[in-house]
Amino acid sequence: MSKPKVATDWMAGCAGCHMSLLDIDERILELLDLIDLRASPITDLKEADESGVVVGVLEGGINNTANEHQAKLMRSRCKILVALGDCAVFGGVPAMRNFFTLEESLRRAYIETESTVDGFIPTDPELAVPTLVRAVSEVVPVDIHVPGCPPNADVIFHVLSELAQGRIPEVKDENLHWH
Amino acid sequence: MKSVRSMVLVSSDPISMERGSDLVYEKLQKEIDFFELGEEISLTKVGDVGRHDALPIVIIYPEATIYGPVKPEDVHFLVEEHLYKGRVAHELQAAAKELTGKIAWVNARKGTLPAEQRIVLQRAGIIDPENIEEYIIHDGYQALGRVLSDMSPKDVINEIKASGLRGRGGAGFPTGLKWGFVAGTPGTKKYVICNADESEPGTFKDRLILEGDPHSVIEAMAIAAYSVGSDEGIIYIRGEYLLAQERLKKAIQQAHEYGMLGKNIFGTDFCFDIHVHAGAGAYICGEETALIESIEGKRGEPRPRPPYPTTNGLWGKPTLVNNVETLANVPAIIRNGAKWYRSFGTPSSPGTKVYTILGNVNVTGLIEVPMGITLREVIAIYAKGMKNNVSFKVAQTGGSSGSIIPASLQDTPMDFDSFSNAGVSLGSGALLICDENTCVVDLAKVLQNFFRKESCSKCNPCRIGNERAYQILENISQGTGTMADLDDLATISDNMTEMSNCGLGQTAGTPVRDILNHFRAEVEAHVRLKVCPSGVCPMSGKRI
Amino acid sequence: MYQLKIDEKEIEVPEGTTVLNAAKMAGIEIPTLCDHPALEPYGGCRLCLVEVEGARILQPSCTLPVSNNMVVKTNTEKVKDARKFVLSMIFSERNHFCPYCQVSGSDCELQNAAYGEDMTHWPIQPNWQSYPMDASHPYFVLEHNRCILCRRCVRACAELVGNFTLGMEERGANTMLVADLGVPLGSSSCISCGVCVQICPTGALIDRWSAYRGQEVDIESTKSICVGCSIGCGIEVFHRDNNLIKIHGDWDAEINGGVLCDVGRFIPMDEKRYRVVTPMVRKDGLLKAATWEEALNVVIDKFNPLMNKKDDGVAAIASTRLPADVLYYFKQIFAEKFGSEMVTSTEEGRFTSVLTELAEEYGTYESKLADIHNADTIMTIGLDLTKDHQVAGFFIKRLIPEGVQVVPVSYEASGMDAFTSHSTIINRFKDLNFIQAVEESLAGNDFSVSAAKSGLTVEEVIELKELLRNAENLVIVYGTEFDPKHKKETINALIRLAKTLNAKLISPKGNANSLVAEQLRLNKPIEVNGHQAAFVAIGDEEPAQSLIQKLEGIPFLAVQASYQSALTARADVVFPVATWLEQSGYYVTCDGQVQLSNESLQAPVDVKSNKEVVLAIADRLKMIVNPVWDKAIKLETCVVEIERSIGRNEELNYE
Repeated sequence: MSKPKVATDWMAGCAGCHMSLLDIDERILELLDLIDLRASPITDLKEADESGVVVGVLEGGINNTANEHQAKLMRSRCKILVALGDCAVFGGVPAMRNFFTLEESLRRAYIETESTVDGFIPTDPELAVPTLVRAVSEVVPVDIHVPGCPPNADVIFHVLSELAQGRIPEVKDENLHWH
Repeated sequence: MKSVRSMVLVSSDPISMERGSDLVYEKLQKEIDFFELGEEISLTKVGDVGRHDALPIVIIYPEATIYGPVKPEDVHFLVEEHLYKGRVAHELQAAAKELTGKIAWVNARKGTLPAEQRIVLQRAGIIDPENIEEYIIHDGYQALGRVLSDMSPKDVINEIKASGLRGRGGAGFPTGLKWGFVAGTPGTKKYVICNADESEPGTFKDRLILEGDPHSVIEAMAIAAYSVGSDEGIIYIRGEYLLAQERLKKAIQQAHEYGMLGKNIFGTDFCFDIHVHAGAGAYICGEETALIESIEGKRGEPRPRPPYPTTNGLWGKPTLVNNVETLANVPAIIRNGAKWYRSFGTPSSPGTKVYTILGNVNVTGLIEVPMGITLREVIAIYAKGMKNNVSFKVAQTGGSSGSIIPASLQDTPMDFDSFSNAGVSLGSGALLICDENTCVVDLAKVLQNFFRKESCSKCNPCRIGNERAYQILENISQGTGTMADLDDLATISDNMTEMSNCGLGQTAGTPVRDILNHFRAEVEAHVRLKVCPSGVCPMSGKRI
Repeated sequence: MYQLKIDEKEIEVPEGTTVLNAAKMAGIEIPTLCDHPALEPYGGCRLCLVEVEGARILQPSCTLPVSNNMVVKTNTEKVKDARKFVLSMIFSERNHFCPYCQVSGSDCELQNAAYGEDMTHWPIQPNWQSYPMDASHPYFVLEHNRCILCRRCVRACAELVGNFTLGMEERGANTMLVADLGVPLGSSSCISCGVCVQICPTGALIDRWSAYRGQEVDIESTKSICVGCSIGCGIEVFHRDNNLIKIHGDWDAEINGGVLCDVGRFIPMDEKRYRVVTPMVRKDGLLKAATWEEALNVVIDKFNPLMNKKDDGVAAIASTRLPADVLYYFKQIFAEKFGSEMVTSTEEGRFTSVLTELAEEYGTYESKLADIHNADTIMTIGLDLTKDHQVAGFFIKRLIPEGVQVVPVSYEASGMDAFTSHSTIINRFKDLNFIQAVEESLAGNDFSVSAAKSGLTVEEVIELKELLRNAENLVIVYGTEFDPKHKKETINALIRLAKTLNAKLISPKGNANSLVAEQLRLNKPIEVNGHQAAFVAIGDEEPAQSLIQKLEGIPFLAVQASYQSALTARADVVFPVATWLEQSGYYVTCDGQVQLSNESLQAPVDVKSNKEVVLAIADRLKMIVNPVWDKAIKLETCVVEIERSIGRNEELNYE
């Protein structure tokens, strides 16, 4: 049997979850024996294979129209979608801006920050349009939620190795953390 | 009471008063004096007369002619024509309401009010609520006299049990049984509370009973107190009911003066006193345990049960809490017997029910009809049909305990058991009748909005469930709902019922459940097609 | 006893037990949020719902009393779904994002409950509504965004403290926790006891000092007692790497049952004084760091010639916050070895010596503090329990809603006035007249003169007399803030009155070891004129201005102190000693219960415990000291019975 293809991507997050993935250290070799890691911020391929992958992993919340597109693309190309980390699962830190209006957040970020001189809010039509920050599951159906900020390397290893061996991982007890 | 030739009644419910019924009354007095008719004509202010389309109303007996709306400047002509010359002043008559149907007319009222069976409201609109003598003349305090002289507390409870009277606050709990529980709880101090915190949307029957016939409630409370062994009664009345409060206080004072309240009533050992406690406008304080908390000076939040108020009520003492309408039935039952009472209504729900009719119908107002009448009859007979002949779509039976009733159930007899078998509820006695131009999502949203604001917030399913259900409904009406939202709605409404602490939360899911059960297609049209079939919802596409 | 079956387990429990507690007895855990063992069951959160056979809907186990042959199921799918629903509702209400919450990781009962249900995500996303944050209080922060409206704080404020500061405003989704009628906490009637912070299940009430300094599982804790006053509240001291993180009331403590006041909870965190970290000796007019050896030698050399000088030798003053054994050693060294007649405490017997005099006359006449809990009427006189010994004040205040009549007698408006309608304000120093007026009216004599002198009307006295006379369990809590000229007479009158009314008398006295100092008769007024040297064991107490003034003319002053102060500044030798948290020792509460205070923190390197210092002095004087302090304090007449309540089965440790 060929190794299951796995693709990962990150949206509105801090990349911490991918860093945590790298924290599995030498076990990554073990993992690579089991899976075929395709598109990923680590491998530098941009998109999951058009022909589809078995497991899609998304880090980060959905912050704008581009993220929305990313999430839908990943969903359409993977069999099992994993939401990795608090941002993907709950909205996380980026979602804190939902408690303010978009205008307030943009003004704070681009104009009012203490280090900014003559700031302005970018309006280039090329830019994605910011939306309410949402958990991945609010935009596309998610099969496995792996919360944590970031999820512990052991948890990530557990989830990926279970999936690689054709089992749906259970995230509970020691492996369940929201922080 | 001196014998008079004619009786003139002036409606003086709050709306009439707002529209100048006091001026009409004063003018009538002047004109009667002017024509020197003072000796032969009695002039009385009465509470709500049951018709709201032509206030203020003047009714003249024995002809039972209804005039309205009467303005002070009409009075001279009215007195001259009707009372002096003896002719009906047709120009001033309120629109006649011809009635057909299976329910017999009450003779004295022919041509005036819809054919009803009045037990609770038998005196409302006929006697002066501020005069105890009129109450006494109309058989008032007879029942209390009989109870104190001829009946043991047990006899009274048995009589109430035999009558099959069920609580009219919404839940329909057998009244006699409740009295028995309180009577059976040992204790030297017990309380009788009349729940007059009527705050179900669209319901105002209790107000009209209290405004029109306050003594009936006082008499009933005294009877209840005698039966359960209490010496202190409290009427917990909605703070906004200022007129009813004023009349109650007056009535209590008069009852004291006549020895119907106070020490050694009717020369017996029985002592009973009543005070009036005004609520501060929280809907939840109509729930009996929240009401008790409120009387104790705490935040009105329902208590866990058990223990029930019948054993641990006000200040931890056994407490009987009854609704105004329930109590108002009691004197008539004692006077006429349980068998008589059972001759009205249905076997499992004997007696009558007072309804307030509202909505898209020709005539709105208050009716008292036997249990078991159908919605179709109410609309056709009492409400005089739908306004502008738009067809009937749904009715809401009032407040948290009410249901949204589709047209398909309009032939179900309105009594506790038939309704509960049909999966709907009789509610608090409001009949909000809606026509085809009503959107059920909008209707449910309005009701949910009420519950989300009135939840006491003690328990999570109710506080958050109502809020979330409202938001989902709002999204659906904005055209941004999803099919997953409908599942969430169903989950929330089921769980609120299953998990909430009190009646509010347990029934707050009803509107959503009802629209999903009876009008799923219409709701789905909002979600799938982004269309409101009735054209009510804004469909702005803005998700909240 | 009722038989019932919970999850197929047969169990027998007493009538009146709740299903929740019955399950606990059967070893079955039911998750809860709004419930707390110290509070009355509330039934708000609905997390503890269970299936009861025959019941129409799920039942809250925290409020449901068991009935005979009840069959309860706590782990069905329906129950689990219900729990998940409740949790998902709560998570959808406000801001419950964990990553940056102070309690996330173990201290959050909400998060723990979600883990317990294996929740990996929220089925319904939050509302995105933001709520204000109240940071107006000096010790803690109220973060409404984290609040789940469980009302534990509100109930604790009412049921445990009786202060009724916290409440709820509005209804439905607009419900908010408020202080008083919606004022910022910092300007509310809050008395900073912090019980609400301790009882909050989430991060809604967090104290400024401990926030983000570690979860309870990551940090160490030591159970001990508070030595802030003589009540002797049980505490739990949380510390990390020898840093004080926070102090909680010990829920299991018999005396306070978890309640603490600001003195025990927050003030130790707010310590702004500078430590003395090394022994110091005055050289050329300046205090200079020295070795212990050097400092002890200077003191011994100075003191040795002063042996057996009654009133012109060494005056010795000890703090009543020091452990009992230290006080006993102190007395042995200075009273017995040196023969000094000026061996006393910083308290000078202010709160206790009169009581002893009266006890010599009447025998032990005071009752236990716990009698307050069973009182139906309580009178307080000669003290203000809203200022000192506050926890005793809480015991009283929280009884008021249950119908207990409380009569605070004072010279001016006090913190109690808001809670009782029986506040009695009398003329300053006219307590004796007041007591006489009550006595005379009880005896049916003319009391108008006494009443007038005390500043009360005849009617007021009659009303009060009736109230006291009709009491079945009257407790009089008294202090000694009376007219100094008539102190003894006043308390004597109070004892007579208590006898007439069959009332119990309780006095909270002074500092933590006020009673021990009294029993060792370290109770003389400080008089140092003529003495050639003074030794002050001030420990971690802040020296009073009056003490410093009295010691101004002393030629040689040795001080053992934890903190720098005006006293150490003018000392000739300073010994650095441990604070109460850094040493263990015995304390005897105001009602005579012996308790052990445990060492929670390590003292800095060159700092010794108070005991080590006094023993070092004894050693250098070649004294053999007797460690059996408890026998010593029982030798003398005591106003209250001394018993060993905590660690009853353990022998006292004299090491």
